[in-house]
Amino acid sequence: MKQRLFGFLVVVGSALGACSSHQQDSAPAIRIRWERDPENLNPLILPNENSLEAANLLYSSLLAVDPGKQQFVPSLAEALPTVEQTDSLTLLTYRIRAAAVWDNGRPVLARDVAFTLKVMNCPGLPIETNQAQWGFIRDIRLDPADPRRFTLVCAGRSPEYRWSSGDYIILPEYPLDPQGQLRPFSLAALRADTAGNQRNPAISAFVGRYTQAQLDHHPERLPGSGPYTLEAWAPGQYVTFKRKPKWWADTLHSDLLPLQARPLTLDYQIIPDEATAVLALRRGDVDVYPMMPAKEFQRLRRDSGNKSSLQFHTTESYKMITACFNTRYAALQDRLTRQALSHLFDIPALIQATQLGMAYPSVGLINPTAGHLYNDSLALPTYDLVKATALLKKAGWQRKPTGGWARRGVDGTTQQLTLTLSYRTGDPAFETIALQLRAAAGRLGIVIRPQPLEASLFWEKLRSGSVQMYLFTVTGNPFVYNFAPILHSKSIGAGNFTGFGTPTSDRLIEAIAAEEQEGHQAELLRRFQRLMHEEKPLTVLFFLRSRLAASSRLTTLQVTSLRPGYTATAIQTKAVK
Amino acid sequence: MRRFLFPRLARTLPAAWGILSVIFLLSRALSSAPEGLTNIQGASIGGHAATPDQIRAAERLLRKRRGLDLPLFYITPAATATKQALAWRWHWHGTHNQYHTWLYSLLHGDLGRSFRDEQSVSMVVLRALASTLPLTCSAFVGIVIVSYWLTLLLARHRWLRPAVLAGLTVLHALPLFVVAFFLLLLLANPDVLALFPAYGLNRPESDTSWGEQLISSAYYLVLPLLSLVLVSLPSLVVQVDSALQHELKANYSLTARAKGLPERLVIRRHALRNALLPAISYVADLLPALVAGAIVVELIFAMPGMGRLLAEAAASRDFPVLLGAISVIVLARLLAQIVADWLQVWANPRIEAQA
Repeated sequence: MKQRLFGFLVVVGSALGACSSHQQDSAPAIRIRWERDPENLNPLILPNENSLEAANLLYSSLLAVDPGKQQFVPSLAEALPTVEQTDSLTLLTYRIRAAAVWDNGRPVLARDVAFTLKVMNCPGLPIETNQAQWGFIRDIRLDPADPRRFTLVCAGRSPEYRWSSGDYIILPEYPLDPQGQLRPFSLAALRADTAGNQRNPAISAFVGRYTQAQLDHHPERLPGSGPYTLEAWAPGQYVTFKRKPKWWADTLHSDLLPLQARPLTLDYQIIPDEATAVLALRRGDVDVYPMMPAKEFQRLRRDSGNKSSLQFHTTESYKMITACFNTRYAALQDRLTRQALSHLFDIPALIQATQLGMAYPSVGLINPTAGHLYNDSLALPTYDLVKATALLKKAGWQRKPTGGWARRGVDGTTQQLTLTLSYRTGDPAFETIALQLRAAAGRLGIVIRPQPLEASLFWEKLRSGSVQMYLFTVTGNPFVYNFAPILHSKSIGAGNFTGFGTPTSDRLIEAIAAEEQEGHQAELLRRFQRLMHEEKPLTVLFFLRSRLAASSRLTTLQVTSLRPGYTATAIQTKAVK
Repeated sequence: MRRFLFPRLARTLPAAWGILSVIFLLSRALSSAPEGLTNIQGASIGGHAATPDQIRAAERLLRKRRGLDLPLFYITPAATATKQALAWRWHWHGTHNQYHTWLYSLLHGDLGRSFRDEQSVSMVVLRALASTLPLTCSAFVGIVIVSYWLTLLLARHRWLRPAVLAGLTVLHALPLFVVAFFLLLLLANPDVLALFPAYGLNRPESDTSWGEQLISSAYYLVLPLLSLVLVSLPSLVVQVDSALQHELKANYSLTARAKGLPERLVIRRHALRNALLPAISYVADLLPALVAGAIVVELIFAMPGMGRLLAEAAASRDFPVLLGAISVIVLARLLAQIVADWLQVWANPRIEAQA
């Protein structure tokens, strides 16, 4: 009996030993926690932030964001494009770096860019998002004298084209279309003929080859010009990338972050549950935990036992929580009511309760850290029930003796001030905000019913305009100020869920998007913030601070306000003393 | 066997078809917008802003590619203008509709392709099952063995019953996530005992032997397995124990004792077989859960599996995967019912005679 027990202990002991040695073997890898699987690594689809991050390791773009500088910098391109404008077109000329080569040593050429654009418009492939995002690129003109130079012909004018015209993954032509079967087709022809793959055998053959490659789960079948290759991918468990021994950008010795790749192995571990992820970080099973929940972040940071093993970073972000009003709803059609309701949010208390202080208020959609672009002459939203009452009365609302508020509408009907606040379920911050608003409104006799909704149902209601008030996360960026998708009247139903839009606001939004001079754009932005401050189609409650916890063995994390909040390719491990 | 199987199949297959059809029609009817375009829809300021027309065109193309542009069913109501006002009329669409396409493919063994990653649903479901089954089957075997052993122990050492049954009742009252977190914080926590991995499955490595891989895989499964066993154990033990106590008081048990049989033989040879009869249905009910996975355990221990697959497919409206996974679970449920019936008949032939 004792021998059997001993045998059992030996087996268990060797198992434990085997497992712990596995941990030691994987020590050089940088292990990063992801909440969800990237799901699809087809460069044409990339359905979530994680797939985008993974794709940027495997492939390169003409331009890339340098998180350190917070601006677009040349990646495959030699420099930012030169811009030339005609009456209705913008011409952007790029030249690809001489050093840029594919894995087989072939140079990356302008015809690869042309091929990429054609793939992005090829009927029969999953190109819907690409067509919508880069539909402004109408044509590409290759320079006959220089195989690396080309000009993109873009419809209309926008300062944004300078960056967005180069912010997509460049695909190699040689493995996907070795015979150049797509070359004879123009971009316009491919875009116009939505059934071209059924009519034309060359397109059909190409679509067949592309589909057969199953790039969704086998990106290794398409050699990219990025610094890493996919080593292993177990869906729902982990994705591992290995540094190429020789990457074309190594020869440049550039100080630009997109042209550096330091870790030899990047190991993304998919851990959906936050508590398990915290435990994994504390055990040393993962090295980087981005966007850690505020409560856990604060708890770990305050625990002196973690000081030697973990490091904590916070930085401003472009992610903001907003309370939005559906201006098509009769009771919310006038700005005074919206202003009154905005005074019911106790923002400092909400920041403390939901983010433990790791957020900051703003007068509007511009980040307060944006310097002269931020209109600091406007007052921050205040929690003021007296002011809210006065504004409601000014808007024609009268408090009924039985409680509640009512007014006579334009059409003679009586309107009641009872509202539903919809939000996506699952985020405790939204729950807290909804409860605070309900309590504050209740003190004035206004009935506000919180309505948590499952994510897809929430989207459905937003799109159909059947919400009254809703909580929403909006993400900005430091490069482009284009408010058209969320506030232009043309976007109502397609992204502008507030239903707001006046000729003045539309003109201002268009002017901001088209303005190239920074000084003038700042002036327009300040005017826009004032307009939104008065009209209040939405109230920015606060901008979140990005939170990141990491193992103290790491250095050069390049914690950034841009998603995902760190630069995986820049991370290094500290030298062992 | 034919007499046994056919009536049951005739009852259960239409029920399965009905369940799947209702789920198909409800899920598709609820969705007017396809997932997959949220990254270009109104959640961000600037950055490749697609125009509303471009977004609508993209939506149209996506719906077409996924076959969502077809009518939902053979007949659908549609508003028709009459002389006085609008009226609802039923429109016949023939076989060119979403339901027919889905049913036709299903009958040909084609579960379609995932909306999220374009993979074959059969492959996705098989992959999830490959992760789920080792865990759930081990848990199933564990539950049955431990229950059997514990019930016999309680029958032979009755003084243990109050304490053990009280403990089991407390355990039964705890939700699965509490038990899982408790085990995680107790046995995978550097502050207490870091004996087991906190999450994931064993990674296959080429330089290790088959045996080492197996042991290592088992090591990763300890905590999830323990969570499932601890949560499912109490109800089975309490049920079998109660039945066994009842049988031990029956006349035939008294007769066996009077014949001089030792108590352990009275329990094993006489009482237990009868006491297990009611447990057959309970155990058979666990079979569909083997296939459906354990979503809570899969989420907490970051393991892929059917539970997570179902939850993620539902959240992202990946209808082909959702329906494919549900089809497999419905089939498992039917199979479990048939197996339960057969086991009941096998254990007690009088049931068939009565039927």
